[in-house]
Amino acid sequence: MKTINIARAGLIVAVLAAAAPALARDLMVVGFGGGFQDNARKHLFQAYAAEKGVKVADDVYNGEMAKVYSMVKANDVTTDVIMVEAPELVRGCEDGVFEKLDWSVIDQKKFIPNGTTACGAGAVGWGVTLFHDPARTPTGPANYADLWDVQKFPGKRTLRSGAKMTLEVALLADGVAAADLYKVLATPDGQKRAFDKLDKIKPHVLWWKSGAQPLQLIGSGEAAYAVGYVGRTILANKNGAKYPIQWNTLLFSFDYWAVVRNSPNKAEAMKLINFMTDAKPLTNLAQDWAVSPANAAVANDPAVIAKNPGMVANHAKEGLFINTEFWVEHGADLEARFNAWLAK
Amino acid sequence: MSSRLASRRNVMAAALIAPLFLLVALSFLAPLATTLYRAIEDSDFSLALPKTSRSLQQWDGVALPPEEAFRSFVEELRQAQQDQAAGAILNRLNFEETGLRTLLLQATRASGRLAEPYRDSMIALNPRWGDPALWRLFKRATGPFTSLFLLRSLDLKPTDQGVAKAAAQDAVFLPLFWRTFEISLVVTILCALLAYPVAYTLSILPQGWANVGMMLVLIPFWTSILVRTTAWFIILQREGPINALLMAMTLVDQPLTMIFTRFAVYIAMVHVLLPFAILPLYSVMKGLKPDYMRAAASLGAPGWKRFLRIYLPLTMPGVAAGSLMVFMLSVGFYITPALVGGPGDQMVSSFIAFFTNVSVNWGMAAALATLLMAMTGVLVVVARLVVPGFRSGGVKA
Repeated sequence: MKTINIARAGLIVAVLAAAAPALARDLMVVGFGGGFQDNARKHLFQAYAAEKGVKVADDVYNGEMAKVYSMVKANDVTTDVIMVEAPELVRGCEDGVFEKLDWSVIDQKKFIPNGTTACGAGAVGWGVTLFHDPARTPTGPANYADLWDVQKFPGKRTLRSGAKMTLEVALLADGVAAADLYKVLATPDGQKRAFDKLDKIKPHVLWWKSGAQPLQLIGSGEAAYAVGYVGRTILANKNGAKYPIQWNTLLFSFDYWAVVRNSPNKAEAMKLINFMTDAKPLTNLAQDWAVSPANAAVANDPAVIAKNPGMVANHAKEGLFINTEFWVEHGADLEARFNAWLAK
Repeated sequence: MSSRLASRRNVMAAALIAPLFLLVALSFLAPLATTLYRAIEDSDFSLALPKTSRSLQQWDGVALPPEEAFRSFVEELRQAQQDQAAGAILNRLNFEETGLRTLLLQATRASGRLAEPYRDSMIALNPRWGDPALWRLFKRATGPFTSLFLLRSLDLKPTDQGVAKAAAQDAVFLPLFWRTFEISLVVTILCALLAYPVAYTLSILPQGWANVGMMLVLIPFWTSILVRTTAWFIILQREGPINALLMAMTLVDQPLTMIFTRFAVYIAMVHVLLPFAILPLYSVMKGLKPDYMRAAASLGAPGWKRFLRIYLPLTMPGVAAGSLMVFMLSVGFYITPALVGGPGDQMVSSFIAFFTNVSVNWGMAAALATLLMAMTGVLVVVARLVVPGFRSGGVKA
């Protein structure tokens, strides 16, 4: 009799354990981490939690879409709201791993032009630029052509381990004008030109995967020059570093909030996205972080602009806008080719 | 003992090993079978476009497929696009031939303008639709099985005429397999050379000191592989302790580049795997009776001859067991080369991770994993035949 009771108790525990996450899981937001997410946790996620009495948790990823694809495929969705880059958003929407957003919950009018897509609500702008540590190397490259000059600028450079951004950098270094860049990169000759150019500095490059690495590699002296996320460089400068940011080397784009398909908290996720793109929490966020929001009122607020000289939107004229359509179309091919090239 | 008793014992024994058998089946055989299956299964096309698949399967593959195939292709692709279900098929086709994603998306975007006869209006949209070779590629993709992933893992590709070499920019995997086995072999040899004197010393030390020595081997063995690899990262970096020491001793005037090199991969992998070579050797050496060596000495054999003719052959099974373990573990190494190696030091597992985590191509990930396992198996079988001491019980006293 006793054993039966134990078995039954065990069964109940097992059933509860299996059912619990589905019932009582916190609303889960996943982003790219770093200083942005630390500040977003306070001003966006937890502000929403406090206002609505909902528990919100957040986690970090490096943009690996496979995790999203596999959780949708396995129908075990553990992330509700996710921050994605534009091409991944468009492809993921086509591939059915993101929900179409509910524009009756999210106010579509508050965004800057092209700030939304079927599956995504514009979150914040981001960019990468060239920088170095003058304490170690007094003079650094002022543009991408300089970055290829290993005689004048000896030492390791660190670039993103991926086709997106790195191929653009290679063509800019090869003298392609920003206006023609994607036209050139769409042709087989242009792609060959970019990879040939990368061949020339391959032995001098350390490749980074996560956004924290460029700063670590510069900070430890492992690399002398880096192409890294400008928000993180600004944060490092706030914390005492003196890395000059070469705004003329800016490549920038927007990240979007998306809802993972079949999320059990879909309705709540839509509400959270509406909150996170509202003017008030974003204005609060702008006090602590050089955010470039896709909310038009905040993006055009003179007080926010004056306080955040590092907003990528302020430097849009100097920089190159990363072409979403190009990467939707060519992303899969070029990323695979880049990875193969890298391993050679 | 009666036969009834014996058969009861057999039932008891079977019941006792049943949980273990079940565990092995569930945790080892099932994932293995799934991986093997994933490497050859090909159902994306037939799942997303079932009617098209049926009519393509009936098509003889010579001239263009019938109008019916064109029509169902346009309708089903449009439907899949609306249901947000076209991703898998686009990825599958684009992997086989770069550019097909664009071609298919162009057709779905223009699908409102396409009309009967679909064959003519599609060819008017893009002449590629009039190429029977394209439709033969689709026909091959209707499954249920494909050789595409396994062939591509060997830098080959399936074509109408059979098998051909893959395009130069896709042909990376054979050199990668070669590099994987090269790194594994070097690590195995280094481990065997380093483990031998360590195991010997441990086996002749007095008990107390042997225990201390054993702890020095076991404590790193119990430490997480990630911790040990990260430690090497710190030690070997440009401004790490080794470079600081070399600079202070003015042996070098520029810090040496050690991190993100093959050297760093070797040193970290050897450190991680060394206990696997030491432990089997130690147990073999510990179990050796000193009589053989004494007998050889009493017959007048000098030290080097005693070692070469008696001690080494007798300890070969330990070397073989340790080397086998180190080699098999090396072949699958991922995190150590990823952390301390450069892009030219990555092994097959890095591409398995790429196809699993980044490009969501599980067919390729499974094909690479299957081939890696098969090649390792073949190498081990060959090693058993060639290397002395590999067969267990190969001690010829």
